[in-house]
Amino acid sequence: MAAIRPRSSSFSRSTSAASNSVPGLKHGPNGTIFLSSGIPDLDKILGGGFTLGSLVMVMEDPEAPHHMLLLRNFMSQGLVHHQPLIYASPAKDPRGFLGTLPSVMASKDDKSRVHESEQEKGLRIAWQYKKYFGEQNSDSQRDGKSEYCCDFDLRKPLERHFFTGKHIDCITLRYSADLSTFHDRCSSFLSQTPRTNGNIVVGRIAIQSLCSPQCEFSDNEWDMLSFVRSLKSLVRLSNSVAIITFPPSLVSPAFSKRLQHLADTLVSVKAIPDEDKELAKLLTGYQDMVGLLSIHKVARINTQVPVILEATTFSMKLHKRRSLTLECLNQAPVDGSSGTSYGTSGSCSSSSKTGALDF
Amino acid sequence: MAEWICRTLRDGGLEGEHAPALLIKDTIRCPLSSFVFDHVLSQLSSFILSNKSQSKGIVLVALSRSPLYYQQFLKSKGYDVVHSPCWIQVLDCYSDPLGWKSKLVESGGILNRDPGSSVTTSLCKNVRDLDNLFSSIIEIGKELAGDGKGRFVVAIDSVSEMLRHTTVSSVAALLSNLRSHDQVSCLFWLLHSDLHETRATAALEYMSSMQASVEPMALPADGQIGNSMNLSLMEQNFRRGKFCVRVKRRNGRVKMMFEELCVEISGIRFAPVSSEDNVIAQSLVPKVQFNLQLSEKELNDRAKVVLPFEHQDNGKTTQIYDGRKSLIEGETEIHEKVNSSGKGEIIYFRDSDDEMPDSDEDPDDDLDI
Repeated sequence: MAAIRPRSSSFSRSTSAASNSVPGLKHGPNGTIFLSSGIPDLDKILGGGFTLGSLVMVMEDPEAPHHMLLLRNFMSQGLVHHQPLIYASPAKDPRGFLGTLPSVMASKDDKSRVHESEQEKGLRIAWQYKKYFGEQNSDSQRDGKSEYCCDFDLRKPLERHFFTGKHIDCITLRYSADLSTFHDRCSSFLSQTPRTNGNIVVGRIAIQSLCSPQCEFSDNEWDMLSFVRSLKSLVRLSNSVAIITFPPSLVSPAFSKRLQHLADTLVSVKAIPDEDKELAKLLTGYQDMVGLLSIHKVARINTQVPVILEATTFSMKLHKRRSLTLECLNQAPVDGSSGTSYGTSGSCSSSSKTGALDF
Repeated sequence: MAEWICRTLRDGGLEGEHAPALLIKDTIRCPLSSFVFDHVLSQLSSFILSNKSQSKGIVLVALSRSPLYYQQFLKSKGYDVVHSPCWIQVLDCYSDPLGWKSKLVESGGILNRDPGSSVTTSLCKNVRDLDNLFSSIIEIGKELAGDGKGRFVVAIDSVSEMLRHTTVSSVAALLSNLRSHDQVSCLFWLLHSDLHETRATAALEYMSSMQASVEPMALPADGQIGNSMNLSLMEQNFRRGKFCVRVKRRNGRVKMMFEELCVEISGIRFAPVSSEDNVIAQSLVPKVQFNLQLSEKELNDRAKVVLPFEHQDNGKTTQIYDGRKSLIEGETEIHEKVNSSGKGEIIYFRDSDDEMPDSDEDPDDDLDI
């Protein structure tokens, strides 16, 4: 059974029993249904996960492969829940990427043991107390294999038996002169997951590095834009989620802005300099960080009320090199006279504010 | 840091991974990248000849300088290419890139003059066909490295020349194919970034795993070239420069290194940089405005603030303002009073005036303890 999350509003809709039994889905506000991104922290930040029918865009940093981490977790989560998947990339052999998908974290005992040993240490001053909230919640939600969002172990590849079946399609965009054939593939895929009230069939589309320069169609910016627009409308009419990653520096600024506006959920990843003493002084936990993730837009379907996040920039850390965690930035104070203050959209008590990474 | 790059290129790529790719770029303000290219070439040659490298040979695609130049350059470094040519091959795209010369020779227009180079070269007559170029490179490389597991280095002199003839996407496709080929150990190329649009430069940076850029040490203060100080600065920029390297590491972090480079008659020389400015960190992280430490100026200002207390603790006798004008200032006050008797006045007596000062009453006597 899917884990039931406490509702954020006092209004509770009477839901049909059929949708509750589909693993990997849960109900959100305003009649929307969520599916998991594969990263528990990201699901929490987005308010439940990716909304069915939304288009997620990830702005890559050409210097870092963090968008691959997001894609890997997304695809693995889909495969674990037996959701059909299309994966497209500019590589010559995209099937090879499937070998790098992470498997579900095996033992939960590992986590609880660590928790206990820490508590024995005596008085602990939790000045970054928000870090410890997650541990308590995660224990209560573990109830077997068909949970909504799995914790993935990036060191172990996904088991073979998840790859059997005809529901995985890998397409290479390397030799395509234009996107029309790929567009047809996507529309036939999405027609298999229509919006009906009956049995809900869910699909996932993952497109990696859409504007990559080695593809022939990368010179035709308007073609790519119309493809994305058409895909967005097809996805909105179906029960699927499409995630597209693209490097914004490789396309002209106007085009990049247009692509960003097309997204329902917009996220960007950024590389951090290595062995930077300044940054190590500014941020605590710099040693474990691999990059920064910023949330620019969260999908809001069937409502006019926007989401205002407490914090929009998060640090990406690999916990024991295995699982990806997102944490709020914990910054040391900076001399106020040296920098300019940015406009804040969240509460002043949180330590990170909207910065240069937001647009 | 140049040594670090050469060593990374020497070690090459692991099995099944993309080969490391170095992009060397410069601008007209400090056009020293060709010296850097030559330096990397000679370092890799020395590694290959002393058998320390993963690769067995170099395939050099010469587009902007003739094969003769390379023969002379390598000879000056002590590597005799003529007599032991088994480790380097030049793909000559310089003499006749579009095949016009051979057409003229065929039609009898000009005499066929031998270029006079004895470096083993293969002539490429159509630079526009990058698929053909790719297969020629691989063919030559396989000859050098021997079939099977042998690997070779590919060096492209001036991708800027290539971009004159073909599109960015085909050049990017060529580089991507070279990087993912099993037998290519590493790859490096030269680019003059101000000759192209930012998109083209960004696309080529995307294809590389390391970027070495040569930047001017000092920029002229204003745009005027005629100024003598600016002229000497510009002259300096033709001999010295700042060498900045950005490396994309596997864990997703970017390593940045800086060095100074200086071109002399004997060759190029790298020296560690004197001052470092780390402005990068400040722009990445959003600013937080609370500060627990006070600076010097702030400490001084704090000391100067006059607190609204009666005891200022600075040695003077405390004068408690109690509404009554004191006798010391009496004379001046009388004058003022006379002058201002016509206007309204607020006469304020403090409540404590009602009490006699130094009375014997102990106010605590009221308490019943």
